[in-house]
Amino acid sequence: MEKSCTLLIHFDKGTPAIANEIKEALEGNDVSAKVDAMKKAIMLLLNGETLPQLFITIVRYVLPSEDHTFQKLLLLYLEIIEKTDAKGRVLPEMILICQNLRNNLQHPNEYIRGVTLRFLCRLNETEIIEPLIPSVLQNLEHRHPFIRRNAILAVMSIYKLPQGDQLLVDAPDMIEKVLSTEQDPSAKRNAFLMLFTCAQERATNYLLTHVDRVSEWGELLQMVVLELIRKVCRTNRGEKAKYIKIIIALLNSPSTAVIYECAGTLVSLSSAPSAIKAAANTYCQLLLSQSDNNVKLIVLDRLNELKSSHRDVMVDLIMDVLRALSSPNLDIQRKTLDIVLELITPRNINEVVLLLKKEVVKTQTGELEKNGEYRQMLIQAIHSCAIKFPEVASTVVHLLMDFLGDSNVASAIDVVVFVREIIETNPKLRVSIITRLLDTFYQIRAARVCSCALWIIGEYCLSLSEVESAIATIKQCLGDLPFYSASEEGEATDASKKTPQASSITISSRRPAVLADGTYATQSAASETAFSPPTIVQGSLASGNLRSLLLTGDFFLGAVVACTLTKLVLRLEEVQPSKVEVNKATTQTLLILVSMLQLGQSHVLPHPIDNDSYDRIVLCMRLLCNTSDEIRKIWLQSCRQSFVKMLSEKQLRETEELKAKAQVSHAQPDDLIDFYHLKSRKGMSQLELEDEVQDDLKRATGEFVKDADDANKLNRILQLTGFSDPVYAEAYVTVHHYDIVLDVTVINRTKETLQNLCLELATMGDLKLVDRPQNYTLAPESSKQIKANIKVSSTETGVIFGNIVYETSNVLERTVVVLNDIHIDIMDYISPAVCSDTAFRTMWAEFEWENKVAVNTVIQDEKEFLNHIIKSINMKCLTAPSALDGECGFLAANLYAKSVFGEDALVNLSIEKQADGKLSGYIRIRSKTQGIALSLGDKITLKQKGGS
Amino acid sequence: MVVLAASVLSKSGKVLVSRQFVDMTRIRIEGLLAAFPKLVGTGKQHTYVETENVRYVYQPIEALYLLLVTNKQSNILEDLETLRLLSKLVPEYCYSLDEEGICKTAFELIFAFDEVICLGHKENVTVAQVKQYCEMESHEEKLHKLIDKNKGDKGGFMSMGSGRIESSFSDMSISSSGSGFGSSSGLGLTADVDSFSTKSKGRQLSSATAPPKGLGMQLGKSQKTNQFLESLKAEGELIVEDVQPRAGQARVAAAAPTDPITLTAEEKLNVTLKRDGGISNFDVQGTLSLQILNQEDALIQVQTETGGNPGILFKTHPNMNKELFSNENILGLKDPNRPFPTGSAGDAAGVGLLKWRMQSADESMVPLTINCWPSVSGNETYVSIEYEASAMFDLRNVVISVPLPALREAPNVRQIDGEWRYDSRNSVLEWSILLIDNSNRSGSMEFVVPPADSSVFFPISVRFSATSTYSDLKVVNIIPLRGGGAPPPKFSQRTNLITENYQVV
Repeated sequence: MEKSCTLLIHFDKGTPAIANEIKEALEGNDVSAKVDAMKKAIMLLLNGETLPQLFITIVRYVLPSEDHTFQKLLLLYLEIIEKTDAKGRVLPEMILICQNLRNNLQHPNEYIRGVTLRFLCRLNETEIIEPLIPSVLQNLEHRHPFIRRNAILAVMSIYKLPQGDQLLVDAPDMIEKVLSTEQDPSAKRNAFLMLFTCAQERATNYLLTHVDRVSEWGELLQMVVLELIRKVCRTNRGEKAKYIKIIIALLNSPSTAVIYECAGTLVSLSSAPSAIKAAANTYCQLLLSQSDNNVKLIVLDRLNELKSSHRDVMVDLIMDVLRALSSPNLDIQRKTLDIVLELITPRNINEVVLLLKKEVVKTQTGELEKNGEYRQMLIQAIHSCAIKFPEVASTVVHLLMDFLGDSNVASAIDVVVFVREIIETNPKLRVSIITRLLDTFYQIRAARVCSCALWIIGEYCLSLSEVESAIATIKQCLGDLPFYSASEEGEATDASKKTPQASSITISSRRPAVLADGTYATQSAASETAFSPPTIVQGSLASGNLRSLLLTGDFFLGAVVACTLTKLVLRLEEVQPSKVEVNKATTQTLLILVSMLQLGQSHVLPHPIDNDSYDRIVLCMRLLCNTSDEIRKIWLQSCRQSFVKMLSEKQLRETEELKAKAQVSHAQPDDLIDFYHLKSRKGMSQLELEDEVQDDLKRATGEFVKDADDANKLNRILQLTGFSDPVYAEAYVTVHHYDIVLDVTVINRTKETLQNLCLELATMGDLKLVDRPQNYTLAPESSKQIKANIKVSSTETGVIFGNIVYETSNVLERTVVVLNDIHIDIMDYISPAVCSDTAFRTMWAEFEWENKVAVNTVIQDEKEFLNHIIKSINMKCLTAPSALDGECGFLAANLYAKSVFGEDALVNLSIEKQADGKLSGYIRIRSKTQGIALSLGDKITLKQKGGS
Repeated sequence: MVVLAASVLSKSGKVLVSRQFVDMTRIRIEGLLAAFPKLVGTGKQHTYVETENVRYVYQPIEALYLLLVTNKQSNILEDLETLRLLSKLVPEYCYSLDEEGICKTAFELIFAFDEVICLGHKENVTVAQVKQYCEMESHEEKLHKLIDKNKGDKGGFMSMGSGRIESSFSDMSISSSGSGFGSSSGLGLTADVDSFSTKSKGRQLSSATAPPKGLGMQLGKSQKTNQFLESLKAEGELIVEDVQPRAGQARVAAAAPTDPITLTAEEKLNVTLKRDGGISNFDVQGTLSLQILNQEDALIQVQTETGGNPGILFKTHPNMNKELFSNENILGLKDPNRPFPTGSAGDAAGVGLLKWRMQSADESMVPLTINCWPSVSGNETYVSIEYEASAMFDLRNVVISVPLPALREAPNVRQIDGEWRYDSRNSVLEWSILLIDNSNRSGSMEFVVPPADSSVFFPISVRFSATSTYSDLKVVNIIPLRGGGAPPPKFSQRTNLITENYQVV
């Protein structure tokens, strides 16, 4: 059992204090110097020094001191010194402090008594405590509540010691008596706590005899009561009937902490709908009444738990939960929407959507800076509502279309994607959506939104009037042709910043547009920057939106415009009986295409048109000049079909996910089944009876360690020295979250006694040795287990190296055996994780460290190579499998993982199959810290070869 | 509901101070604290982080983080309250809120944290109280020191000594009002007042024997609660409305009988004596009970012998053969074939066979008389008490409890036969005499208290026990009804006289 640590203090190593100095100061007369010396001594102790020589000085010079600070520091000192020898026996000199402690317990100063009693709570050595017990008991009846409080706690911890029940046989009796007369709320709580932990029966008895008074008890006591109820009911389900009434009484408590606890207790006790409802109601009330964001978030977590276990009850409370949206905090709003979205039923959908709509409208008027993001969240929420319940789409789609021109690009994109899906799935809404879209098209500011909206227009304008107005709208948005006039070309070329402005003056009768910032000017289809956090698009409504976008050099949009117009003209041929009109439209379109190309090849813009867009525009022109039925079919039907296919695939994936979720088995066929009624019988170990709260606490304090696979254990044994070395050593390395434990077995292979054998370790990388292993003496051919703890603070490859140093009796010189290095594997720290595409791209753009590894492998198949990499670096592939389908000789995939320290590791794999069948390309690793990027890179270089 | 640790970290993640309240290893706490700076995000509007195992609740203070590490089931509302209190405390102790300032006052912070959280549980304290606790200014200690000094000066220069005391008293009052009633809201004194007031409250409650609590209130709150309970019941939830606590196992089990048959004759005394002599009530109630361990021994009769006291009337249990008892003093069942009920060891009382009662107005029957003489002289009251025991009994464990006026200190006992003890919580002086026999049939005690009305010292209550009884009932023999010549089974006999209510009013 490792020693527990009660305090940590930062210690500046720059000013080392020497034991002798401390000793002198302690022996002196200057009180403040003495106090300082004492503090220094404590800090040295915390830092791992043992300072055995100081003990006697302290006993002689500090113990008798009357100064209060001194006495308190002394208690801290006693708290941290080693009180036992190597075999666990109490050191004989500890008797010296007993007398002092006893004097303190009878000290006239009540605070000295109190802190001494508190110190006893942290003491584990029964030999020291035993003589003090009578004094402790006396303090139980002291006049001052401060003393009684601590005395009760002291009694409790003494009783809890391994043999404490023999030291204090009648402790429960005494405490019960104290409890019946005690008036101080804190002392009363402590007394009840003592009964609760040491004699649960008595605690329940006390509770049941005072059932009517519970609501008048102090808040602290009520909390313990609830804890008791939970514990009793967990071990003995049948008892709960008695306690529900108490909980209900406490639900009306004025203290919110108690109410919160009550709700939790109620849920753990009963699964009756009323009980769950009461608990959920309580949470909802807290959600509204508490202004603290932390509380709100945690209460939402509780509601979320309730949702998954008692969905039917929570469905009725959906509107109460939704009221949390009034908080301006995005995290809260997001959590609330997440909960609500899973609670939607046909019965409440209308109400919910109504409220969401109201919230959306509210974001228009409010001046809050986060409104944009919030609106995006709301739009996504409405979107998923509409997918689940298509009938609500009609009520929201028009409202949402108001936001197509939103200055927040992300939410505008969400809207347009939503509209695209609805128009396909809800054919009834098509006409109204198209009319609306054409009406509002001029408001759209962002290029991505524009292109998506154009696609919708191109695909879904079917009737003659629609097609005609669509063409008219686009034309209007493009403005008058040409985009620039050749005469001005000369002037316009000088400064790239000025050019668009100059050109627009000359070509357009309207006011020149204020153009988008540089981000958009350089945007192309493949650029990464488009995924950086949404930027606000500036621009005036006066000039056509398409025109101003084109003038910033967005030729991808130009290509989209070209395709849309082509599509519309092709459709016009079908629906327009008059050939003249069709030809007119065709020529107008051709003119537009030509002017775009001209703009692209002019020097007005800093960047000329990219090849891809150029090709597409030219293709459109060819098509318009020379149409065939086959091409027509491709343009007018296949495009739509593949969209339908995409939607259905998405749906399929979602349903599959749902199915997979439903199929998660809750219990394996060979799992043990716990029968509550049999549980209290003997034959079950205490461990099995332990409940989740204790587990929770144990996990938190790190006591709870899962049993690892034994077979795995053997794989991790590392040989540190050779078989022919005088000392053989091997280590078993366990990696916990933040620490590495080295379990080193040292065997003396000589016929001599090795003295002062010491395992000296040093580390490289972000590792820190916690405490130095001790020196040992090793008899001939005997062995010894040495443990060393190493702390890890970030994900990085670390190396531990060291020596074993020892002396033999005849030769008085130290012998050194150098150990093998121990490499700590980064793979122990990262685990596959999932993040959204946008999040990945944002991080990719943000992270500073990139490690680029050239692919060098014997594997010939792209997908096989991807799988090999995924397997060897333990990451999750974010790219959907459908995107990886097919054989094209190229493959690009994103991988993601998270370390236990919460660091992100991003990997992008881009490979191409060469003509000779070999794979080439790069693997890029990005992370926030250098360590991960480097070590992951090393790992990949090492493993990528494959072939085995 | 447990706070694992309270810590102060610098923004860069350096641990400046950390105090743990539950047992955890150093590597664990250091790991947790090292992980924290990586977990805390920026731009968040909440101040908690949850990991798989723990929850961090923090508050930024200038260039520092004040951090509580709790388990995940901990009550967030309570933890925030604790954090708020701690955040108020830190600036109280640190002059500059930066690394250096914290390091300098690390120990003071630890002491303060200790006052707020006890073994992981929150204490109900305010900033001012914590300050008071940490200052450790104690009146009692000062008084104690004065007394010590006084003792040292005794016999020497009295006048000088008292002068010095006076001056130091005035010093003290100034200092106490300075720290007390000044700006920092007089905690030194209010705490004392609190403890007194709660004490008096406690007494009121106990004397009022817990009035039937809030019947009206129950009706008031009922409507909603009852509905709730009803619906819970309707949903099949078991609810017990009136919960009876299980009979307390606190009752000290009498030494379990080891003999197959045990007979207990017990007499209880109810006596009220007047303070100026005479009896207002004297009543003895006796029972003879039988306890049989094994079924085989249950067919018996009991041969008794009474002391022949004419004032005592015996009444047998309805199932007993009355004639047999009145003629031959043998206790047996009416139906000789029925065995006596056998009782388990847990049931200490056994089966009652016989009851008797004695009343008297004869003062000579009283086993112990108490005389209490309070007399006021000057500004002190002298109280002398004496007891006189009749020769009938040897009394054991006699405790005479004299109520006193509320005192700061124990009364000054001038003379005593026996021992005394002062219970300051109930302000009762207990005079105990282990045994009263022929060597000490009378005794006295004298003590001095500040002036008080003589009625304060009443009612004096007395407790004692004796091994002989008024009735002198004895069991002579056990007659087995079956088994012919078999020897009578072994039996043990206990005789006990105890006081139930023995008062001098």
